[in-house]
Amino acid sequence: MRILIVEDDSLVAHGLKQGLQQLGYTCDVAHSAEEAEVCVADEVFDITLVDISLPKADGLSFIRKLRSRGNSLPALVLTASGSMDDTVRGLDAGADDYMIKPYRLPEVAARIRALIRRSNAISDACLRHDGLCLDSRSHTATLDGQELELTNREWAILEMLLMASPAVISKDKLVQRLAGWDKDITPNAIEVHLSRLRQKLSSGSIVIRTVRGIGYRVDAPDN
Amino acid sequence: MRLTTEHQPLSLRQRLILVLMTPLILILAASSIFDYQLAKRTANRAHDQALADNVYDLAAHLKRQLPSRTLDLTEEAEAMLRSNAPDMLYFSVIDAFGKLLAGDADLPSMAFPKDDRVEFSDGIYRGEPVRMASHRIDSHGQDYQIVVLETTEKRRQASARILTAMIVPNLAVVLATLLAVIFGVRQGLLPLHAVECDIAGRSANDLHEIELSGTPSEIRPMLGRLNELFAQVRESVGVQQRFIADAAHQLRTPLAGLQTQLDLANAEGVFSVSPERFQAIDEASARLGHLLSQLLTYARAETSCSLKEQSEVVDLGLLVENSASLFLDAALAKHIDLGFDIAPARARGFPWMLLEALSNLIDNALRYSPDGGTVTVHCGNDNGQPFLGVEDSGPGIPEEHVRHVFERFYRIPGSPGHGCGLGLAIVQEIAELHDARLVFLPMSLGGLHVRIVFPQISEER
Repeated sequence: MRILIVEDDSLVAHGLKQGLQQLGYTCDVAHSAEEAEVCVADEVFDITLVDISLPKADGLSFIRKLRSRGNSLPALVLTASGSMDDTVRGLDAGADDYMIKPYRLPEVAARIRALIRRSNAISDACLRHDGLCLDSRSHTATLDGQELELTNREWAILEMLLMASPAVISKDKLVQRLAGWDKDITPNAIEVHLSRLRQKLSSGSIVIRTVRGIGYRVDAPDN
Repeated sequence: MRLTTEHQPLSLRQRLILVLMTPLILILAASSIFDYQLAKRTANRAHDQALADNVYDLAAHLKRQLPSRTLDLTEEAEAMLRSNAPDMLYFSVIDAFGKLLAGDADLPSMAFPKDDRVEFSDGIYRGEPVRMASHRIDSHGQDYQIVVLETTEKRRQASARILTAMIVPNLAVVLATLLAVIFGVRQGLLPLHAVECDIAGRSANDLHEIELSGTPSEIRPMLGRLNELFAQVRESVGVQQRFIADAAHQLRTPLAGLQTQLDLANAEGVFSVSPERFQAIDEASARLGHLLSQLLTYARAETSCSLKEQSEVVDLGLLVENSASLFLDAALAKHIDLGFDIAPARARGFPWMLLEALSNLIDNALRYSPDGGTVTVHCGNDNGQPFLGVEDSGPGIPEEHVRHVFERFYRIPGSPGHGCGLGLAIVQEIAELHDARLVFLPMSLGGLHVRIVFPQISEER
C-alpha cells in the first residue's frame, strides 16, 4: 500500500509518514499541490492524504484536478479550519472523506483502511471485512474461507453495512435499498433479515450492532 | 433594547399632534368667542327695540292723559305692560321735579334724558339684573320722564340658545379635526414605523442592509449612514472570521504534529518505564485539542449571526442520524447504551452549528453518565415546535449550579471528566442564534434532560 501525503507542515507530514510506515504503509510526502501533481503523474498510489491549506494552490484544487483527469485515487482531506463549509467544499471537490485536525494516528489509520476497502470493492469487486469477503462478480460470499449462503436481500443489507462501516445505517435507508425487490418491505422484515444474517455470521468476528432507535452498523475491523 | 428614562421626550407623533392641535383649538376658541359676542349683541338689539316699543306705547298712552296731576292708567294698559312673559316689566313716570306720577316708586333712578331718543342702561332691581329704558316726553310745555324696566330672562334664554347653537358645531369641528390630525399623522408616519419595525425587530447581530426604496426621503440619509455602518461591521466580522480560520489552522496543525509524535514515541516504547507519564501527556493534549475546537466553535458561532439570511431548512432527523456515527464508539467505550428517538422534524438554521450544539449535548451526556448508563437523543415536534433533546442517566445538574452552567468556562465543582466548561455556553450561543430556547425537562432517566426548542418553521422565507 502506497500513500501520498500532501502536507506543507513538516512536523505533521513526518509524524504521519513515520506513523503510517510503522503500520506497514509506504509513504511519500509532497509539500505543495504542485509537487503532489508531479508525484501522481509519475507514480501509482493507493490513497492520498491532503491538507487543504497549502502554500500556493490549495489541496482542494489538487483533488479537483485529479478528478478532472479521471483519476479516482481515494483522497482523505485533513483540514484545520474544521468548518462545515470547508468539509462540504472538500467532498464537492471529489474528496472521499475528511478529518479535522488535531487527529490521532489510530483514527487516521482506521479511515485509511475504510477508504482502501471501499476503493477495492469498486476496483476488484470484492468487499473484504474481518475475514468476510463479498465478491460481486461471482456473487459469492466467504467467511474465513468458507462459502456463505446469502439471500439477495441479506447480500444487499450486508453490502450496504460493510460499505458504510463504521458509520451507522438507518433502518429507513435499508428499507429504501430493498424496496427495489420488495415494494412492501417493512422495518420489521429488516429485523428478520438482520437476525438471520447475524446467525450466518456468528462463527466469524464481524459484529452487526443494533443502534437503538436508528438502525445498525458493522464495527470497524480493529474494534 | 429600549432605555426607559424618567422624562421621556415627546414622540414624533405626539409632537406633531400637539403642534397642529394647539393653534387649531386656540383659533377655534377665539372665533367662537367673537361669534358669540356678535350674536348676543344682535339679539340684545332686537330685545332693546321691543323694549323701546313698549316705552313708545306707554308714552302714547300717557300723552292722552297729560297734563293731569294724577295719571289714571287703565287696568288694560298695566296688564299689557306687565304681561311680558317670561319677563316682568316695571315702569315709572316722573315729572321734571322728580315727582312720581305713576308706576313703581322704587325703580332705580336714571338721568333725565336730554333728547327724545330712548336711552338704555343695565341695572339691578329687587336683586335681579334688569335692562332699563328711559324716554322723555313733553306735553303742554312740561317734560316728563318715562322709565321702563325689563328683567333679563328672555335675553338670558337667548344667550343660552346662541351659546348652545355655537358650541355644539364648534366642538364637533374640533373633534373631527382632532381625529383627522391623529389619523393623518399616523398615516404620514407609517413608513417611519416600517423602518422602526425592521430595525427594532432585528437581533443585535443582524447586519443586513435596510431596504431604502419606499422610505421617506427625509430619513433616507440617516438610513444610508446606518447601512454604511452595517457594512463596516459586516466587514469587521468578516475580518474576525478570517482571523479565526487562520488561528484555527495555526493552532491545530502543530497540535496535530505534537499528538502524532506522542503516538509515535509511545509506539516506539519511549514511555515503557513510566506509562503513566504518557497517560498524563496524552490526556493533556486531548484536552488541549478539545478546548481548542470548542473555543473555535464558540467564536465562529458568535460571529456567524450576521449571516443569518444564509440559514436553511435543516432536517433534524437526519442531523440526529449523523450524530449516531460520531458518538457510537465513545459510548461503546463506556458501555453506555446510546439510543435514538427520531420523529420527523425540521428547523431553520445552520446545519454545522446545530450538529455542534447536538454534539456538545451528547458529549456532555456521555462524559457525565456512569459506566453502563443510558443516553437517549431525541428529535421531533412538540406543539408544532421542532426540538433536539438529549437525556442521560448521569448525576444531573444540582439546583444551585443551574444558572451558572451557561457561563463560559464554568465547571460544576468536583465533576468528573475533562470538560472545559464551554459546552453548554456553546449550545446556549447557538440556540440564541436560532431564536431557540434551552429547556431542562423532568428527568426520566435520572440524569439531565436538555432540549433545544426551535421556533415553528416558516417555509416562505
